[in-house]
Amino acid sequence: MSIEAQNITKKFGQFTALDQVNLGIPSGELVALLGPSGSGKTTLLRIIAGLEFADSGTVLFDGADTTHQTARDRRVGFVFQHYALFRHMTVFENIAFGLRVRPRRVRPSKEQIRAKVHELLQLIQLKNLSSRYPSQLSGGQRQRVALARALAVEPSVLLLDEPFGSLDAKVRLELRRWLRQLHDEVHITSVFVTHDQDEALEVSDRVAVMNEGRIEQVGSPDEVYHYPVTPFVYNFLGNVNLFHGRIGDENTPIQDTATGELVYVRPHLLEIHRQPNGGSNFRATIKHINSAGPLVKIEALTEWGAPVHVEISQEKFRDLRLKKNEAVFLVPKETKVFHKKVI
Amino acid sequence: MATAISLRAGKVPATRQVATAATVESRAVRWILIGITVFFLALFICLPLAIVFSQAFEKGLGAYWASLRQPDALAAIRLTLLAAGIAVPLNLVFGVAAAWALGKFEFVGKSLLITLIDLPFSVSPVVSGLIYVLLFGLQGLFGPWLARHDLQIIFAVPGIVLATIFVTFPFVARELIPLFEAQGQEEEEAALALGASGWQTFFRVSLPNIKWGLLYGVILCNARAMGEFGAVSVVSGHIRGRTNTMPLHIEILYNEYQFAAAFAVASLLALLALATLVVKTVIEWRARPQFAESAEGEGEEQIA
Repeated sequence: MSIEAQNITKKFGQFTALDQVNLGIPSGELVALLGPSGSGKTTLLRIIAGLEFADSGTVLFDGADTTHQTARDRRVGFVFQHYALFRHMTVFENIAFGLRVRPRRVRPSKEQIRAKVHELLQLIQLKNLSSRYPSQLSGGQRQRVALARALAVEPSVLLLDEPFGSLDAKVRLELRRWLRQLHDEVHITSVFVTHDQDEALEVSDRVAVMNEGRIEQVGSPDEVYHYPVTPFVYNFLGNVNLFHGRIGDENTPIQDTATGELVYVRPHLLEIHRQPNGGSNFRATIKHINSAGPLVKIEALTEWGAPVHVEISQEKFRDLRLKKNEAVFLVPKETKVFHKKVI
Repeated sequence: MATAISLRAGKVPATRQVATAATVESRAVRWILIGITVFFLALFICLPLAIVFSQAFEKGLGAYWASLRQPDALAAIRLTLLAAGIAVPLNLVFGVAAAWALGKFEFVGKSLLITLIDLPFSVSPVVSGLIYVLLFGLQGLFGPWLARHDLQIIFAVPGIVLATIFVTFPFVARELIPLFEAQGQEEEEAALALGASGWQTFFRVSLPNIKWGLLYGVILCNARAMGEFGAVSVVSGHIRGRTNTMPLHIEILYNEYQFAAAFAVASLLALLALATLVVKTVIEWRARPQFAESAEGEGEEQIA
């Protein structure tokens, strides 16, 4: 089922959570709403779900207006950030809940419900834990039960609010790959909210980057990462060095002169040289080296006194034999320039 | 490859804190503290309780039974049960409704409402009784109107029931407000999103989540409803066999130097208190696993 949010505006008191937001989600896609906290992504998700109502604007499901329908009528599956499992029910009862509360004439028989729940337990690989209570499960297990519970009612749309937000790093990685796989199998239109750019880029078909109640850019992970349309998107999707200045002549390409241009360089797109190579470069002094991890992270101070982050490979680091307080030349391989009027 | 990580995310923190080495008192201090506690418990709780029962059986089992089977005593027991039987269910409904409104929603005047619910706790029971006399008594606000329609509230059963309701209405609400506040609305939202109706959500999700707290509130409410003296005393009029509840009946017997009979009826109330404590302990013991169980040693198995 496709989802269309048109001109959604939502205010909480003085605070504008969403400002004229438009978002179209084609049927069967897995879309990430990505943004910092307070950017309105969860509010947008809750409005799509019918758990919250917009001050103005419409929500269409497959072209049909659902703006005034409640969550109950919209047939959405919603997975809450903190799972919201029914704590007094077992895993089995939690998953069966949505089927059991149906009106008598559309309620499946006991056997059908049991079959459906077992099928879902199989899917989330928790078959042997069906009689446990939520408090007896680990975070990752709870998350999967919450997902199975949402899927049990065969929703037309699956909405997930920070689905991996409260899990530790390792389980997070496993679960998000699993979610991607699940979506490839089930193919249900899904929207998930996240503040983690890696998560959004890895899992989703498309990413909507949100900031201060507005959508900054919508596109495939590739598009938003490589062709950001605003400084915010570029900034949010990876580490950056920001220089207020302009692309200057050959020798000093990034000057700290206020000419109204913003120059961004990602840390791994800066090269370190011992000698000027004739192209664009600037001088810097190494202040801190962190070599734990796949890349060596170096903090340096530019000749005009601005801090700059550089990431180089371990191999390169060994070759250069860099030391603290050493003076080096930094060469930007690729820069991204935004004119101030864009912001 | 099974990664054996024990996950604690989302675990309800255990409420019980064990003293660490740094905060443990010396042996002498511990014994003194325990000694003081036991001494006061014995002097002010256990001794009086023992005296109630020893006095009640002073003249033997026969006299004990006889004083309980006396018509006035039976009437008092009946009236107490009636008053509690009306007040407790009403306060149950009121308490759940009030706690729901106060615990789940934000609105102007909320703290004022909470203060008002506490009013019966802060007002002297005598004043609580007087309020009803001033409202419904012959000289009271509605007195003339009631008299014209031949309705009697003060010095009759309705007054006793009203006074009992008034003094016991904070119990259930007070017990539930923090529970509702702590639980938030996520589970209800989840139920609604899964297609449950409002009533289904209430009976299948909200109510089971508060059942132990609710039961606890009800037994406290019941204990107070049966034991209330001050407010009931003002509105009752002390008509033997008609408007005397158990506490009032005990007072009358005592004032007439029928000590054994007075203590016999008192022993019933004391038994009620003991039964309440037992039920409360059982509830706390039963309610604990639901909230405190953790995912101890629970390995997160590999997902395909």
